[in-house]
Amino acid sequence: MPDAAAVSIRGLTKQYGKLIAVNNLHLDVAPGEILGFLGLNGAGKTTTIRILLDLLRPTGGTALIFGYDCQREGLHARSNIGYLPAEMGIYSDLTGLEVLDLLAGLSGRPVDRNRRRELQDRLGLPDGDLRRTLREYSTGMKRKLGLIQAFQADPLLLLLDEPTEGLDPLMQEAFYTLIAETKRRGATVFMSSHVLSEVDRICDRVALLRKGELVLLRSVEEIRRLASRRVRVHLAEDGLAPPALPPGAQIIDTAPRRWTLQVEGFLGPLLETLRAFPVKDLEVVEPKLEDVVMQYYREDRS
Amino acid sequence: MTARPPFLLLAYSLKRMRTLLLIMGVLLCAFQILMVAVARSVERSGLFQQLGALIPPFARELLGPSIAMFMSFAGIACLGYFHVAVMGALVGLSIAVATVPASEVETGFMDLILSRPLARHWIVTRSIVAAVLSIALVLGLMMLGTWIGLAILAPSGAARPSLHLIGSLALNLGLLMLSWSAVALAIASVVRRRSVAGASAGLLALTAFLLDYLGRLWQPAESLAKLSPFRYFSPFDLIVGGQLPLKNVAVLLGITAAGFLAAYVWFSRRDISH
Repeated sequence: MPDAAAVSIRGLTKQYGKLIAVNNLHLDVAPGEILGFLGLNGAGKTTTIRILLDLLRPTGGTALIFGYDCQREGLHARSNIGYLPAEMGIYSDLTGLEVLDLLAGLSGRPVDRNRRRELQDRLGLPDGDLRRTLREYSTGMKRKLGLIQAFQADPLLLLLDEPTEGLDPLMQEAFYTLIAETKRRGATVFMSSHVLSEVDRICDRVALLRKGELVLLRSVEEIRRLASRRVRVHLAEDGLAPPALPPGAQIIDTAPRRWTLQVEGFLGPLLETLRAFPVKDLEVVEPKLEDVVMQYYREDRS
Repeated sequence: MTARPPFLLLAYSLKRMRTLLLIMGVLLCAFQILMVAVARSVERSGLFQQLGALIPPFARELLGPSIAMFMSFAGIACLGYFHVAVMGALVGLSIAVATVPASEVETGFMDLILSRPLARHWIVTRSIVAAVLSIALVLGLMMLGTWIGLAILAPSGAARPSLHLIGSLALNLGLLMLSWSAVALAIASVVRRRSVAGASAGLLALTAFLLDYLGRLWQPAESLAKLSPFRYFSPFDLIVGGQLPLKNVAVLLGITAAGFLAAYVWFSRRDISH
């Protein structure tokens, strides 16, 4: 496989009449990286994924997968992709096994039966379920089938649209393990999700779209560092007035024996300030990806 | 890429349609056998001559040539190839088979198909081959029914329809069905809903049929009726001994080619969104 970026997007724009679904998007995803593609509904996530699959034609810009243009060299670009759509559109008169065999055949790559069985075991979809028609499948079972068809040929790039939607917590765990293994074998994952805790847990980087525009592209670690920490100061005495705080710190809540502060940057200056007070305990709450992303979401709404 | 994935897709499509195709084919096969049985019954009772004498010329003109066909054993034996209900069912079947791409877009299955390294033109090619095979199967079973009926039930003295006549009728009907498949496939290549594609093609077919009927009855409408594909289906000329006009074959093939070409172009350019 070429050394090119797994996904390379340059100035990608998709317009429907006056509506701009994706606006001048620039984004690179390195081989072996797990990218969380975030945004509220209608932000342009699915549109971008569909352009990568050449299901939608961009109004402007280019999208490349492993160096192949998704539109002009679509067959090469899609030759090593596993795709999980947000909704599995499959005819209900087919059995799970027929779906897997058909999609494996269409992928043009051999599927190892042992690999498929391993995925079945891990995601809890035994042979008995695969012999049933899809009209008998629950939402969760369809999701499991979707994951198996996406992973079964061990593709180098996985495009996953809301992968854990409809999965129970145990299966979500199984999925996270699967993603970790996928990363270990060097494959790339490009996944959209609304579940920020899972993005925080499994993704290396986050790209956040707002109204079709990229507003945040950083590693999860960087985002955590960007986020302000919460510090709870537990006091030994009642009725103490909060002091003047150093720059970067502000008080957000007071209780008789507790102050809750929001602190950006180092804690040193704050600790200096607190030396004059009867501090019984200090509680530092680690920042979460969710805190930052939610802030963007709120700005989007407003 | 190997050629296997397109064939796999075709096999899958035919597998999904097999029940409909077989039921329809067997029904029409049985209908043809029954028609031969009816023709034998009428032939033996000598009713053809009596019926012919009862219908005045103006009524024959008004009711169209089909009524005259009742006046012979061969006419009734071949009735299935030009009966309105049979034609309607076969055109409906052609439309149903050709609108599968719209259904695949609507359900989202197209997303999964095209996320594989499969060129879009294979979707259209698959539908064309499926339409041709479906039409061949159903017409083949009809012809089989006619042959079985004639072999078992035809009275010895009756003027049987020739193999050439049955073949010409089936070919003309098959081309008509194929032209409607092409129209339906062209529509299905641009819309997102199978119901929209099916209804649009069905309404077009009905309009074209009525236009042709009107053109046959009313001179001023005749030039407009030339726009209807049904105008180029001429079973009555064949039954009275004429050859299948080359013009009919050429026009129906032309409509078919134009429809399939439009489908290739439109489907390759469209956005796949459901």
